[in-house]
Amino acid sequence: MIKIRNPRIQYIVELLTYNNETKLGFLLVAAIVAAAIVVALTGIGVLPYDPIEQDVGPPLAAPSLEHPFGTDILGRDVFSRILYATPNDIFVSFVVVGVSFLVGALLGATAGYRGGLLDEALMRYTDVIFAIPALVLAISIAVILGPGMTHMMYALLIIWWPPYARLARGEALRVSHQNYIEAARASGIGSFRILTRHVLPNILTPMVAYATIDIGSVVIIYAGLSYLGLSIRPPWPEWGAMVSAYQDYLVSAPWLPLFPAFVIGIVVVAFSILGDGLRDAVEAARIG
Amino acid sequence: MGLLRFVLRRLGLAVFVLLGVTVITFVLSRSISSNPLVAWLGRAASMYPELAAEYAKKYHLNEPLHVQFYYYIVGLLQGDLGYSVYKGKPVAEAIGETLPFTLQIAFFAIIFTLIIGIPLGVLAGKYHRRATDYGIRAFYLAGVSSPAFLLALFLLIILTYTFRLLPSGGALSPGVPTPSRVTGFIIIDSLLERNFGTFVDALAHIVMPSLALALGVFGYVTRVLRASILEVMRTNYIRAARAKGLDENTIFFKHALRNAMISVVTLASLLTTWLVTGTLFAETIFTYPGAGQYLVQALSSLDYPSILAITLVFAAVIVASNLAADILYAVVDPEIRLQ
Repeated sequence: MIKIRNPRIQYIVELLTYNNETKLGFLLVAAIVAAAIVVALTGIGVLPYDPIEQDVGPPLAAPSLEHPFGTDILGRDVFSRILYATPNDIFVSFVVVGVSFLVGALLGATAGYRGGLLDEALMRYTDVIFAIPALVLAISIAVILGPGMTHMMYALLIIWWPPYARLARGEALRVSHQNYIEAARASGIGSFRILTRHVLPNILTPMVAYATIDIGSVVIIYAGLSYLGLSIRPPWPEWGAMVSAYQDYLVSAPWLPLFPAFVIGIVVVAFSILGDGLRDAVEAARIG
Repeated sequence: MGLLRFVLRRLGLAVFVLLGVTVITFVLSRSISSNPLVAWLGRAASMYPELAAEYAKKYHLNEPLHVQFYYYIVGLLQGDLGYSVYKGKPVAEAIGETLPFTLQIAFFAIIFTLIIGIPLGVLAGKYHRRATDYGIRAFYLAGVSSPAFLLALFLLIILTYTFRLLPSGGALSPGVPTPSRVTGFIIIDSLLERNFGTFVDALAHIVMPSLALALGVFGYVTRVLRASILEVMRTNYIRAARAKGLDENTIFFKHALRNAMISVVTLASLLTTWLVTGTLFAETIFTYPGAGQYLVQALSSLDYPSILAITLVFAAVIVASNLAADILYAVVDPEIRLQ
């Protein structure tokens, strides 16, 4: 067991090493994020081939040592293309989840703690948003904003925060009846301070577990949007767009559409394993 | 009396949510362009001046926003969803033609989801923390984590290209007579005509898209059922049944499972949302002429009226199925009505 002085870091380490699931999930997620950061920082230099350069190999070559994921019809290296798209997908997911987390936590916690009109309005608004499938609503918004990665991110941000607000509200309701909140209130601390110092910190962990799984959901939906042609313009690679561009070769070169689709699946699995494990860890900590 | 009040309250909520959805589509429709006609007519606004004038008058598009919103709702209630240049017909008509196909797939997808999800959930619950449980867990994690298009491509490779069992796409094979339109559902219409060849062919075309959807969602059913079984097995009435000396199988299948199954109903909302989302990809990959494919085509041609209308219709489908699930839930579990 690792011994760490700082109790907060100690807590995080305990959560991450709670069971085999969190350990495996953390390793996978760390590897994916590390790959994304390295590619983002070094650009094309670290890749085996330039992702948009044509004829680096014979067209439609099967997977080999030279081209682990084969080459496409233009002789581009698919492995390099997939790797090159990593920072992009990871970045979008982290931004969408991060901003939704912040907005949702603040709004939801305030609503749950204060109740009243804000609470009612927030709940009814989320009811409405939940009735429209996220992808369909994102499509409608994206059509108005026009294609492109940043526009896709805006479209997702608009619709992504309500579940976080719901979660934060429920947690804040639970917390607000605890003795330490009563004590804080009795000692005359203002409600803003109670909210930021006592309520918010105590609702974060379950929200982090949810957010971890949710990163995978954003990856899937973003891949879906770019599969439908709403994201990055060719020739720059993007996972979902690659699947849709390559699916015509399903019979002659099935690895072409399958590899990018697999990579999406693996990223989602990594984040769900970690998130599931974290949720168990949080629940175990709560029961005591 | 409790049930009626519960149903009325849920109905009220459903109406409110639908109204909220129309506010959102209205706001979206006015954000597309400075010309509100574009929302109803898309490119037809500039192509057909008479149609444009008619719509401008009918929907009071020169008046203040709240008046426009009123006529927007009135138009929707009359079934007017705008005009699609690309389909060359009113959007409502185009949706009427495509939606039955989507519902056909969704119906069978739900059946496949239950056929796969429930037995696996039961097995995982009965043998939890054993190899069976872990195996099932890996299987559903793979399904839930796969993008819809991956599952569709997989089935295409296995069932069509490798084993040549099922057709690769479309709603009917070429040459098979299309039944005359009564309900719009080919499988029903062909049965009405007693045309069993068409019926079987239509079924064969439904299998892959609906199976692809089911493989993506059965995991939620399995997970919830497993958790619910574990919870029920810890309750006092199960302990009482054990104390009575009932054998484990009777306890599990007669007492525990029945109550655990109720939890599956709570998934209805999640399932419909996922199915609706999934149809966009399943129908596109299997070239199935449903509303999902219609939306994807409308997207590539920037057919605004169609996009907005399908958004609205999908939301209505989800609201309706949530309402049905809520009522079903209240019927099977009386405790819910008391909340």
